Amino acid sequence: MPLGRLGALLLLAPTLLLMLLIFVGPIGWFLSAALGELGSLSEIWEEAVATLGSRTILAAILNTNWIAFLVTLVVLALGYPLAYALTRAKGLAFTAILVCILLPYFTSVIVRTYAWMVLLGRNGLINQALLGLGVIQQPLELMYNRTGVIIGMTYVLLPYMILTLYSAMKAVDPRLLQAAEGMGASPFEVFRKVFFPLTLHGVVAGALIVFILGVGFFITPALMGGPGDIMIAMLIEREIELTQNWPVAALMTLVLLAVTLSLYAVYHRFSAERPGLAA
Amino acid sequence: MSGLILPRRTLLAAGLAMPFVKTAAAQAGEVIIRNPGGVYDDVMRKYVYDPFTQATGIKVTAVAATAAKLLAMFRANNVELDVIDAGDSILEQLRRQNALAPLDYGNWRWTKPDDIPAEVRLPTRAANMLYGSVLAYSKEAFPDGRHPKSWAEFWDATKFPGPRSLADMATGNPYLEFALLADGVPKDKLYPIDIDRAFRAMGRIRPQIRKFWDTGALSAQMMADKEVVLAGLWNGRVQVLMDRGAPLGIEWNENMIEVQAVGIFKDAKNVAGGQKLIDFMLQPEAQAGYCRDLTYGPTNKQAFALLPAEQLTRMPGSPASADKGFYKNIAWWEDNRDRVNRQWSRWILG
Repeated sequence: MPLGRLGALLLLAPTLLLMLLIFVGPIGWFLSAALGELGSLSEIWEEAVATLGSRTILAAILNTNWIAFLVTLVVLALGYPLAYALTRAKGLAFTAILVCILLPYFTSVIVRTYAWMVLLGRNGLINQALLGLGVIQQPLELMYNRTGVIIGMTYVLLPYMILTLYSAMKAVDPRLLQAAEGMGASPFEVFRKVFFPLTLHGVVAGALIVFILGVGFFITPALMGGPGDIMIAMLIEREIELTQNWPVAALMTLVLLAVTLSLYAVYHRFSAERPGLAA
Repeated sequence: MSGLILPRRTLLAAGLAMPFVKTAAAQAGEVIIRNPGGVYDDVMRKYVYDPFTQATGIKVTAVAATAAKLLAMFRANNVELDVIDAGDSILEQLRRQNALAPLDYGNWRWTKPDDIPAEVRLPTRAANMLYGSVLAYSKEAFPDGRHPKSWAEFWDATKFPGPRSLADMATGNPYLEFALLADGVPKDKLYPIDIDRAFRAMGRIRPQIRKFWDTGALSAQMMADKEVVLAGLWNGRVQVLMDRGAPLGIEWNENMIEVQAVGIFKDAKNVAGGQKLIDFMLQPEAQAGYCRDLTYGPTNKQAFALLPAEQLTRMPGSPASADKGFYKNIAWWEDNRDRVNRQWSRWILG
């Protein structure tokens, strides 16, 4: 039975209300209260130009986007085959893979990050094993640098990618693959010309989710990064906690929000054109 | 935007309209105190809160709150705790917002106000202990007393090689003082800090810095895991590791003495109870007890007599180490933290 526009709206109403109450409302309140501290619009404008035009913020934004981009690539490279394995797995194997993917997801990010620190440290398990096996002579620098940030973030964000890809792959009609095979396509061609294009919207969706979550990361880069691995959320935190400079924090928050929303807009556009891409 | 930072931001943004841990129904029979938590809380409960309840019948409830939360609470006119036990920079921020009640030194029963040095016995806050930022070293990397004995030597990576760590801006106080000492500024001429000079000196040591630590726990972990062989950090953190047998040492030369203090919100529901708790907390026996367990320095000069001499040598501000150190100038930091924060970001990202 088709649901009218009104019916759909009614079903959405509780969620929308909740979002307004606990998300949109507080953000609006924070922005108006914080920027209100500055007084007039021209003062807000001056502060905005000074803050957002500074080399520091630009460098932090570039840093943030670059790290999120690298993480997205790594997550995609790892997540795609894993998601595919998940679509092929049956019974116990399926459950086992799913549990492995989801279980860490229910553990606190801080705990997981500390666990990585135990593994990746200069005298951590990985280095000790490699040194013991004679694979390396000097401990690898796996932490307190960009590598550490990417490993840590990849691990936290991987489930989002896998689950998004899984649902896209599950939706591919297996008969299309059989048909391609039947017409003489090699397995690689089946993948490249049929399967991959049909899952491309999942790739885009997963990548955007990972990227959007990635630009807001705070704990992992703070704990596992080196001196220069500063992401914008860390600067926002300092403006709030340390210097109680709420107007500046609010402006930086707006930048982060703008990056996120414009990416979402891209995604929206992209998914609207999906039939053309998937065909 | 990530779910990771959202809750905190949402929480702050909500103006703390939400009730704080427990809605302070604040009968006269309860004092709610903010403290740093963890072991600190356990030790204070043992030597102060529980004995205080026994002596007065007033219950003590401890809660956690960051500086931002305390300020937001005050601004929102919704003060839900009475006493703040914190680093004195937080209390100085609150004092500047006119958020604190005058301490009632005239009516103290347990502590003689004159036993607390005047420098840390201020109208709206009194120091309950001293801690220090010290130079810590690995005895494996630098055995037989061949470790750096000043910040200038800490800065000398040729003579003393190996990865290091210093405090991050996120702690509120990166060690600009140590950078200046390394650069040859005498310790009585550190303030006002020449920020540009300090950052130039910081730049020289930066290649040796594996990571700037942002929490005390991380600084200790990096030393314990041998990620670094030298660090500037809080004495209590290294001492805990040394007591457990870690091959680490503390060089007390040029230590920076910092102040932990207590104050009362002027709009608190139980100001009177808070006054009593502070009076009780600063008496010699209580101070000797918690300072011994935390390895921090007492502020009540009568407390020194209650502590073994060996213990005193590893307490900041004690007769044994005070003349090697200097007091951090918190007023300077409050006036300049914003500027240092910006310069730090520019420097670290540059």
